[in-house]
Amino acid sequence: MASPGAIIKSTTRQVKPLLSLDKSEARRRVLNLYKAWYRQIPYVVMDYDIPKTVPDCRKKLREEFDKNRHVQDIRVVDMLVIKGQMELKETVEIWKQKGHIMNYFKETIEPKPQGFLSKFLAGHE
Amino acid sequence: MMRLPVHRVLQKAVRHGVSGNGAVRGLAAAPEKVEVFIDDKRVLVEPGTTVLQAAAVAGVEIPRFCYHDRLSIAGNCRMCLVEVEKSLKPVASCAMPVMKGMRVKTNSEATRKAREGVMEFLLINHPLDCPICDQGGECDLQDQSMTFGSDKSRFTDIHFSGKRAVEDKNIGPLVKTIMTRCIHCTRCIRFASEVAGVDDMGTTGRGSDMQVGTYVEKMLMSELSGNIIDLCPVGALTSKPYAFTARPWETRATESIDVMDALGSNIVVSTRTGEVLRILPRMNDEINEEWIADKSRFSCDGLKRQRLTLPMLKNQNGELTPVEWEDALVGVAQALKSARGNQVAAIAGGLADAEALTAIKDLLNRLDSELLCTEEIFPLDGSGTDLRSNYLLNSKIAGIEEADLVLLVGTNPRFEAPLLNTRLRKSWINNELNVGLIGPKVDLTYSYEHVGSGPDSLNAVLEGKHAFSKQLQNAKRPIIIVGSTALQRADGAVVLAKIQKLCSTLRAKGSIDQDWRVLNVLHRVASQVAALDLGYAPGAQKIRDAKPKVLFMLGADEGVIKREDLAPGSFIIYQGHHGDKGAEIADAVLPGAAYTEKQATYVNTEGRAQQTIVAVTAPGMAREDWKIVRALSEILGIKLPYDNLNEIRRRMGEIAPNLTRYGDVEDANYFTQAAQLADLALGKGSLTTDPLDVPLKELEDYYMTNSISRASPTMAKCIQSVRKQRQSKY
Amino acid sequence: MSFVGLDKVAKLFQIVRANGGVMRSLRKLYMQDELKIGTLIGSDKYGNKYFENNEYFYGRNRWVEYNPKHNLEYDGSMVPAEWFGWLHYKTDSPPTVKPPVQYKWISDHTDNKSGTPDQYVPFTTTPPKIQSWVPPKKSGSSN
Repeated sequence: MASPGAIIKSTTRQVKPLLSLDKSEARRRVLNLYKAWYRQIPYVVMDYDIPKTVPDCRKKLREEFDKNRHVQDIRVVDMLVIKGQMELKETVEIWKQKGHIMNYFKETIEPKPQGFLSKFLAGHE
Repeated sequence: MMRLPVHRVLQKAVRHGVSGNGAVRGLAAAPEKVEVFIDDKRVLVEPGTTVLQAAAVAGVEIPRFCYHDRLSIAGNCRMCLVEVEKSLKPVASCAMPVMKGMRVKTNSEATRKAREGVMEFLLINHPLDCPICDQGGECDLQDQSMTFGSDKSRFTDIHFSGKRAVEDKNIGPLVKTIMTRCIHCTRCIRFASEVAGVDDMGTTGRGSDMQVGTYVEKMLMSELSGNIIDLCPVGALTSKPYAFTARPWETRATESIDVMDALGSNIVVSTRTGEVLRILPRMNDEINEEWIADKSRFSCDGLKRQRLTLPMLKNQNGELTPVEWEDALVGVAQALKSARGNQVAAIAGGLADAEALTAIKDLLNRLDSELLCTEEIFPLDGSGTDLRSNYLLNSKIAGIEEADLVLLVGTNPRFEAPLLNTRLRKSWINNELNVGLIGPKVDLTYSYEHVGSGPDSLNAVLEGKHAFSKQLQNAKRPIIIVGSTALQRADGAVVLAKIQKLCSTLRAKGSIDQDWRVLNVLHRVASQVAALDLGYAPGAQKIRDAKPKVLFMLGADEGVIKREDLAPGSFIIYQGHHGDKGAEIADAVLPGAAYTEKQATYVNTEGRAQQTIVAVTAPGMAREDWKIVRALSEILGIKLPYDNLNEIRRRMGEIAPNLTRYGDVEDANYFTQAAQLADLALGKGSLTTDPLDVPLKELEDYYMTNSISRASPTMAKCIQSVRKQRQSKY
Repeated sequence: MSFVGLDKVAKLFQIVRANGGVMRSLRKLYMQDELKIGTLIGSDKYGNKYFENNEYFYGRNRWVEYNPKHNLEYDGSMVPAEWFGWLHYKTDSPPTVKPPVQYKWISDHTDNKSGTPDQYVPFTTTPPKIQSWVPPKKSGSSN
């Protein structure tokens, strides 16, 4: 058991920010990343010669950002932004290959059958 | 036909006392124990124990080839030589009884040298063909030469005479012989004459000319012949169907239960890449000791032929065509939808497991039907199947060794339950068991008194008119075993009632122990006891009376119900694993799993619940049986309340708690009440005069009795060669 | 004339004429992607014609015009063995000059069936582990 002092310390401890000090700053970073990706997309489509159009890719970009719309913690937001920047860098520098880009567009995986009957029909245990 | 002299009988009785199984009751107080020292470790054993057994008590395993627990002692391989203090020569420990203060050295230099010497002699004439030998990897000679043999050989063929070579014998389609590999341990000979009761095997010649064989070319006509493959310590006797198939380290072993007869022998299923390769026995002293019958061992190739792998429905032309599961279930559900109450019926065959039986019972009950039947008939008059004591082998299989008199009524245990017959034979050899038989004169491998062939002799015994009834009266621990075939007759109820009356009159004399069970029923199929425990009605008469519109057949392959027995335009659903008589008349076929492909409960004729384990997955689209019924119920909109094995077993336990107590026998009781109720049946009818008959009289009848063995090519070969052997003059 | 390139134009007219007019030349161009002029060396029994014109450089001076019945569906495997050698410069003597030795074991030429319904498809020769039950055809049961 931690001592009462330690508990108070841990609850009142000032969290160390990653990059952003407040929400608006985090938001700005996200928008900057989005813009950077948005501008890069035509070149990505051309360089990687992927069978997708620019609007397709922009839609996918929007989708990828919307996936994390629920995130509130600014440290998590920062971390996601950092990861997004890394992805962008890898993409722009052509450290990736065509398959890596197409991986964003992979077919939705068929969910495993739930419930007795669908498991039975699918032949799963 | 052999019986041992009296002193051997006594010795055996003592040995049984030691090993703890089949303890002979009423034996005088145990004699004083003998103190012996095995490698300076002190152990106390019964007098008459051999040095080898004493060493086993001390935890020392002495190498052996000829010695076997369940066979008589031969002492001819000399591999078990050990040094005994104050003995000039090394001693064959398997044949030497312990003496007071004996000091045995199993690890000394002299013992080591003796073993190496014996091994050297054995290997002089043993071929070095391990790479092409089927025993390779599970060969006693291989293992023991690695452990106890010398690291080099002094054998050089200076005269270039070559090693000993012996001509191979043909002893039938099951056992392959490569007699050059034989080391003359005579285990097979002793097994054949002692356990199987077939005195066909023996030795000819002496010294290096000695040969093990059948004297003349002859098939080994036994239902237990496969066991000599396991007994053979080298590769001289191997399995013919399994020849050159796999090595033991490639296979996966699954411990399971056999369903070929009602005993539920314990087996090991060897599989590789989703294929059952062979079946071996597993030790269970309560049931099969360490033997299994040939049908259990060799009919596993039937699991690969004639299988139902796809759901099928009849199309417009009236031909069964493969469909998807969904379509099949919907098709079946449409037929079941309109039918209610007596318009639906189910009939279960001999290989159905308790889980599937439970599921079908629940499904039909939800459709307001109680028409649940089994193919096997059992009389319902008197207390019928309401009291478990009426339909169980109450004395248990191992209990037969304690009996002093056995009366068999309308049964041929040799082919209906071969391992029960070996118990009877064992008791006949060791305990001077007297056996009487009412029914056709058959070869049981031991002598018995033929009391009569018709039910009238049952009357005679009951009234004390027959000579045998005197023996029965005097017996302290009598057992009466009724074959289920005797109860399939029209007067089956009266036969059972008469026997129950006989039991109660014997008991009334008071010389029988209170907890000794006299009445025993021997079933023929694996599913029967579980079905009766679950409340299935035996016999299909109810279905014939009700003429249902929809019939659900769960592995019912004996052709008991025909289409003519049902209402016109009826719909027949067959669920099972083999295309046989049932699938041929069906409108819908639902492929189920065979006993090696599902975890399922079977209750043997003693009432012992045991479970099979999944060894391979079911082929094609086949599914576990209870799951098919469960899925069907959901499509019908009457969802059964279980989704997994534990849940259905809980439900099974609600109906009959003994079904989930695996390995145990739930004793039956209410014998007196059953006997009283049986008197009611006595009033209802009388015995007919036609003689009691059994369907399995000869060896060729034995091999094909259910859908699996009927699909097995090996079993077909067996029947052919038995017929051929009958033509032969030997 | 060569200075203004008129010889090229003359050559074009010559080729067009040799190929039987403008329409036929256009068709040949459509079929073969090129229009050439050359001496007919011979033809095989499948109706393919073999030409040579040494004005073209080595590698383009021998060619085959496939039987027109194939339309655009021609391919190199339609050239039989006896012409293959000449066409691929293994030999300079075409089978019209030096007929190939006829052995009785020589079988007829067949072209490549890949991509057609007659193509070879590998199949398993191992028997299935589980043999399924086949319902008896129209069994004697009612309905």
